[in-house]
Order: sequence, then C-alpha cells, then structure tokens
Amino acid sequence: MRIRHLPDTLINQIAAGEVIERPAAAIKELVENSIDAGATQINIDIHDGGKSYMCVADNGFGMNREELIACLDRHATSKLPDNDLLHIENLGFRGEALPSIASVSRMEIFTYSKDDRSAWQIRVEGGKKSDPMPSSHPSGTKIEIRDLFFATPARLKFLKTDRSENMAIKDMILRLAMAAPHIGFTLQFDGKKNLNLSPSSQEERLGLLLGREFPQNAMPILAVRDTIKLEGLASLPTYNKGNALSQYLFVNGRAVKDRLLLGALKGAYCDVLARDRYPVAALFLTLSPEDVDVNVHPAKAEVRFREAAHIRGLLVSTIRHALLEHGGRSASSVQSPLQNLITQNQSRVNQEYTPQTLPYHTIEYASGAPNHRNQAMAEAVQNIYNAPHTLPPSSKCEIIPEENNNIKDFPLGAARAQIHENYIISQTNDGMVMIDQHAAHERLVYERFKRQFSENNIAVQGLLTPEIIELDPLKTENLLSYQDDLKAYGLDIDAFGTQAISVSAIPALLGGNIDIKRLIHDIIDEIEDKGSTKLLEDKIFEILSRRACHGSIRSGRRMSADEMNHLLRDMEATPLSGQCNHGRPTYIKLSLNDIEKLFKRR
Amino acid sequence: MKFSIDRAALLRAVNHVQGVVEKRNTVPILSNVLMKAEDGVLALAATDMDLEINEAVAAQIDQPGATTVPAHMLHDIVRKLPDGSSVSFILDPDGHSMSVKAGRSNFKLSCLPIADFPEIGAGELPSEFSISSSDLRGLIDRTKFAMSTEETRYYLNGIYLHAFENEGVHLLRAVATDGHRLSRYEMPCPTGAEGIPGIIIPRKAILEIRKLVEEAADTIKINISESKIRFTFDHIVMTSKLIDGTFPDYDRVIPKGNDKIVELDAKAFTSAIDRVSTISDGKTRAVKIAMNGKVMTLSASTPEAGSATEEVEIASDANMEIGFNARYLLDITSQIEGDGCRMTLADSASPTIIQDNSDPSALYVLMPLRV
Repeated sequence: MRIRHLPDTLINQIAAGEVIERPAAAIKELVENSIDAGATQINIDIHDGGKSYMCVADNGFGMNREELIACLDRHATSKLPDNDLLHIENLGFRGEALPSIASVSRMEIFTYSKDDRSAWQIRVEGGKKSDPMPSSHPSGTKIEIRDLFFATPARLKFLKTDRSENMAIKDMILRLAMAAPHIGFTLQFDGKKNLNLSPSSQEERLGLLLGREFPQNAMPILAVRDTIKLEGLASLPTYNKGNALSQYLFVNGRAVKDRLLLGALKGAYCDVLARDRYPVAALFLTLSPEDVDVNVHPAKAEVRFREAAHIRGLLVSTIRHALLEHGGRSASSVQSPLQNLITQNQSRVNQEYTPQTLPYHTIEYASGAPNHRNQAMAEAVQNIYNAPHTLPPSSKCEIIPEENNNIKDFPLGAARAQIHENYIISQTNDGMVMIDQHAAHERLVYERFKRQFSENNIAVQGLLTPEIIELDPLKTENLLSYQDDLKAYGLDIDAFGTQAISVSAIPALLGGNIDIKRLIHDIIDEIEDKGSTKLLEDKIFEILSRRACHGSIRSGRRMSADEMNHLLRDMEATPLSGQCNHGRPTYIKLSLNDIEKLFKRR
Repeated sequence: MKFSIDRAALLRAVNHVQGVVEKRNTVPILSNVLMKAEDGVLALAATDMDLEINEAVAAQIDQPGATTVPAHMLHDIVRKLPDGSSVSFILDPDGHSMSVKAGRSNFKLSCLPIADFPEIGAGELPSEFSISSSDLRGLIDRTKFAMSTEETRYYLNGIYLHAFENEGVHLLRAVATDGHRLSRYEMPCPTGAEGIPGIIIPRKAILEIRKLVEEAADTIKINISESKIRFTFDHIVMTSKLIDGTFPDYDRVIPKGNDKIVELDAKAFTSAIDRVSTISDGKTRAVKIAMNGKVMTLSASTPEAGSATEEVEIASDANMEIGFNARYLLDITSQIEGDGCRMTLADSASPTIIQDNSDPSALYVLMPLRV
C-alpha cells in the first residue's frame, strides 16, 4: 500500500469523529456559530434524540451567497480576522464544524444576509453540496440536519437512547445559555417545548437554570486581579450536592470541564465540606485571549492557562474570602424542605418565592489584603456584646427581662430555650433561630484549634534515620519543587540521588504511627492530579477536627441561658461558623415571614 | 474427662494463658484454651498462631481426657468463684460441653474438639542459654517503650536481640526504636548465647513474657532458632515466632561526636518535665530546654493555655537551646533508677544521648523536636 492523500469527504468524516461524537456535540457547534453570529434569539428543535432531525435557527447576521458556499469547505471561517491563533475572541475558530457535520448527515442551510438583501439555501448530503438556490428566509441562519451519522453507521450504532441524547443536548444548551444570558433560547424535543428562556440578567438566568433556591443560597463571587476577572455564584457550604455535575465553569464565555478549575473549586471548599459532598457553582472567568490556549481539545472542553497557578490561586482565595464573609450564613434552603414538610399534607401548597437580589461584593486583591468587612462586623457585634446582660439560668425556658431586649439585636438573637438537650431556640428581632449545639460548638473549637495552629510554630519531630523513599526521577523532581511548601508544614524532604528522596522530619502532630512512605506517595498523587498539594494541611486539620469533636460539648448536655447566649455570641464572632466540619448547617433561621407563611397568615 | 482443682491454682494458670488469646477471632478455636488432664497434671495451652503458651498445674485427675473451652469465659468464671473453693470439671460423654462446678455454682461450657487446636510450639530450637529473671526484666523494661507500633515498618515492632564480641568480652544487646528514639541495653552474654543469630522478638511476646517474669523463678531458659524463641521456667513454656525482617543498622544512629555534656539530677529532671509539660499541647507535648551555665530552664507554652518554666541545676558549661517531646523524654528518664543522668548533645537538630550514670548498660538516643 502506498501513502496517498485522502479524499476531502473522508478527511471531514475523520474530523467529525473528533468533534461530532454525538448529537449534542453537533448542536454545540451550531449554537456556538449562532452566538458568534450575534444572534439574540436561538431556537433549537430536536426529533428522536437528534438522530432523525435537528434544527438550529437564529436571528444573527447570516451569510451571503459566497459565504454560504465557502462555509462548507474545511477550515473556512469568518472568525480569525487577524490569522492569529493567540487572539481567539469567538467561540469557534477552526472552521471544521460545518463541513464535519455535513459530511456525516443530510444538511440544509437557509440564510439571509443583510448585505445581500436576499435569502439563499444550500443542500449537502454526505459531504456533497448542491448549488445555492434563492430562497425565502426572513433573517439570520437556519440549519436543518437530517439523518445524522447516516454516512458513518458505526457511530450511529454507538449512540445511546433518545432520552439520554436529549439529556446531553439539554445539558449542553444549559451551559451555553448560562454563558449567554442576553440571548433567548427555546428548545423543543419531538415538538414539545422543553425550555423557553427569554433574554435576562446573568443572575436570573442562573436562577432559572439551577433552581430558584440556588441564587438565594449562593455567594456572589467577584474578583479582579490584573487582567483576570472571576465572577459568578458559588453555593454556601450548606447547599451542597452528592456529585460535581452542578459545577459550571466558563472561560471567556466558553463552557469548559477543566480539571484545574474543578480541583481548585474543591480545594477552596475542602475545609467546610465533607470529602464526598460538592458545592454548586457557576463561575465565569474572563481573561485576555493571549493568556489562555483553547486550541488543545477537539471539542474545546479543556483549556490551558499560561499561568495556571495564578488562576488557581485567584479562584481558591476568592472563594475562601467569600466563604469567610458569608461564614455566618447557613443555607436558607433547609427552610423550604421544612416548609414542604409542614405543607405537604395540605391540599394546596402556595409558596411564592421572591428571588432575593444579593449585593455583589467587589474584592480587590493587592496581595491578600485582610478582610475589613468581616472585621468590622465582628467589632460591631463585639460592641453590642459589651452591653451588660444577665439572664436567670435555666435549662428549659427563658424569659428575657424587658431591659435586656437589646440582645435580640444580635444576628443570632437571644436564647430562649433548649429542647431535646441539643437544640437551642433563640429569638431574633425578625424571627427565630434553631441551633445544633454540638455542631456549632465543634466548629468553634475547630476554628480555635486552627487559629492556634497557624499562630504557633509547627512542632517538627526529627527522625533518627531519614526515611528513604524510592521514586522515579520525574516524581522526585516534581516533589522537590514543593520542598518549601512541605517544610512550612513540618515535613522536611531532601533529594537522595535522583531516584529517591529522604524524609528527615515530620510534623509532630502526626505522631509516631504515621506511614511516611504512604504519606509521600499520597502527596505525589495529589500534586500530579491537581498541580498542588494540600494533603499535609488536610491531614493536620483532620487531626484537629477529630480533637475538636472530642473537645466540644455533646448533645445531651443541658445548658444555662448564659452558656447558650455565650455560644451564640461566639458563633457570631467566628468565621465559617455556619456549618459544622462536615458541611451540615449549625443553625437554621426562620424569619417571621416564613413562620407566618407556615400559618397561612400570608 | 473428669478432674477437680483448687480455684487459686487454676486462676493463676488461666490468667497466664488467656493473655495470649485475642479478644476477637475469625477462627473459633483460637478463642479457646486447650485443657489436657492426665497423670495428676492439668496442662493448659493457648495460642494466637504466632505466640503459644503452655502451663501445667497439679490437679486431682479422676478420669484423663482433653478438650478446649472459651478462654476468656473460663477466666471470668474462675475469677468470680469464691476464694478457697474447689472447682470440678466434667466433660460430657459426647464431648460437646463441659460442666464446671464449684460449691453451688454450676456452668456448662461448649467445647470444640482438640484435633482442630493448632500447635506452633513444637520443634527443636538449637541455641540454648539461661538468663536471670531480673536481667530479662531489665532488658525488656529498658527498651520496650521505644518499640514502634507502626505496622508498615513491621521490623521495628519488637525488640532486636543479638550477641556480639567487644575486645574479647561477649555481650548480649537488646535494641528498640520507632524512628524518633532508640533504646539500647547490654549485658554480659550468658553462656551459650554467644552464637545466637540476631532476632526480632515481636511486641506481643515481649509484653506477655514481661507479665510472666514478674512472678517467675530465678532463671529462665531461652531457646532460639532462626524463626522461633522459647522461654521455659517453672511450669510455663512460651513459644513465639520471630519477626522475619532485618533490623536496621542501629549503631549508625547513635551519635559519636556529641561534645556537650550535661550532668543533672534524674529525679528532679523527670518531675520538672512532668510539671512543665502540663501546659504543652496535648498531642505534640513540646518542651523547650535552654541551658546556660549551671542552670537548665525548661519551658512550655500554648497561646490559649499559658506558659510554664522551671529551672533545674546542671553541671555543664553547655550554652544552647533544644526542644523535645515531653512524653519521649519522660519515657526515658523514668527508666533511670540512679540519681544522676547525663545528656550528651551536639546541637538543636541532632540526636541527643541520655544515660543513667549509675547504670552504663542502658543508652537512649532521642531526636529533638523543632519548635
């Protein structure tokens, strides 16, 4: 056999194999084209999971006759005006999608371009295109695809059920719609309307797509560092899920599934969520196109950053700051299950949500400036606290004397009663709060331990004989580049030849019973996986957390009013006190409004 | 099988053997103690497959026989019987249960057949020597606290015993280390032990034999092979498998060039550490030691709890600071029986040697804590 050039149709089919692996991928390419064409309304129609018919119609600027013919040729695009791959400002840029899809399906394109003032249509079947014909089309472009993959029967066989293909298409549309709130979207499956989004604000769009309770239980994120901007919403720790599917990340308006970003998100939450719980987040990263390479993945689902560590640091520190700032807030969504529980048996459930608008806080980073806002709040709380108040002790029920009513001004109010020897009920000016005393105190103790830990020098236990751990040279080098980070936590490593490292000291907190070899291997795994290591910190905090659990008051302990109020004041002054170490809420707030709703007064 | 025995004698023997039996077992027979009655002697045996103990005790045998019964239950029963009572055992003819009677108490214990009972103690152990029980106690006590419990470095989970010759003198050495500290004890080599191989006696065997020698006869016979060790004294025979591993070259760990020598009163030092460490953090237990002229200042502090200092007089011209884990220090100083102890230091990051002035046979090495 001789080496020869493949025919164009075959080349396109090969490209289709990379880019168009299922109907959702074709829809993604088409909708991205529509977005790049400046459309404000995009309508998508799907039949039989996209296998028999798909149609994407937009009101963008359309194409003239020449463009219509050219667009079906490989690497023909309008999107690289300067021929500069470092300057990609559109979603697409390769000019591969249309010819690829056309090579494996029967495609018809209708388009109306303002500069042509006439409409054209063209038909392509398995890559063979007809001549353009005059047509009647109002505006924008409409692309109909019939019999996707008819030209590649093998691919057709590997498609999943219509239902799963529909789900994949919908997920794709959701991601695209999140990033483009100014565009209206409609989506139909087999003639039935599934999604109808009118142009709206970013936050409304997120609320619509991720559930209304999401914006209410999320922290607004906004950070600007040099030319990089990160914004969006990230959930409070108490609003979490069992999988990472609800984490939507966008880089310059492009939906990505990037390991670096997902890892950073997990890292930011690691101290407030159990390992198997995941935050919900929609984050939009905007940076100048030169700083990110999108040309690394056929479907552009992954990107590469010029300064990955910088991006990661920005994401982690921004979310951590937001967590600290909102540390006292506990998910209000727990109220809705509560309300549901109560209203379930009643004939009519009539709940009206009024989506709250959350103020966006801008955090300007110079170099990890201290969080003044939080400090100010703590001071304010402290001032109220200094006002004298004493309450008669009792473990059952407290009547607050009139002159002490000012303690209701505290965010967590005045403790009124303790029930089932574990739950404190307190009254605030505008409602009531239920507090889980064990969870709350555990968190307070943990935060105190952590503070002590960071204030103290880390005690480092030297080893009589250095532990030699053999590694391959790449891993050795990789690990040694984190030498200083590890030393800061009390783990002293040094090169031992090129194929081994020696450990000469370990954090004393880990005790004598630690398997050093495994610790090192785990650290390497984490470095390889996430490009950084927090394992040692995690391990140390895990020990602190365990001690916090033992050192905190248990449920079943009766508390006097003074003790309870003291706990509440401590919670107000402690950052991140809204959830226990496992992400469960430490308190639940019911506003008077909510209570009145429960009683049908509203 | 039918026999009766004095409760006190039985309790003593059962108490000895039941220590070997693990609380939880996947193999049922390992929870049981073997009882064999013949020729005026009741022989008890228990094992965990690594360690086996046999003990014989005089009893009045009416009808010889053998069976196995749950060890911890038997121990609890005998323990609770009134002192001075005589306990009689009768095995049912079908062999499935044994009744235990004392006074008006009556128990029926289910039995397992003796054929399933594993035996690991058999076999010839070629090296043989005798050691006095006080020497064995010293050898274990001075070293056992440094044994590691970290199971991946299994070869440190015990005491390393070996014989060697130094300038014509034969010595027997015991060494234990967990990577943070090391203890070494040496004694004149007992006759017959000169040629023994270097062995690692597992932790459990060490702890059990230590309990037994407390009330043992003067001399204990020890037999050793490549894979087993056997202790024989009174009517007790304990056999243990050895840890199959290589003990690290411990001699390299013992610093040779430490030049700062500090002499101090061991008792005062011990209680000062104990007092000062009350303040230090529960897990790391850091204690700082500053030496200046004739005074050593011990100090500990935690920001929340407060701080503590105590001064101890020393004979030294050392001028330095060093930190230690207080628990590790106490483990060592509590082994010092004489009045004086000597610390030999180099700097705050290097291993320190601690010795008992009145007993040169023991040597301790401790790695400092960097605080």
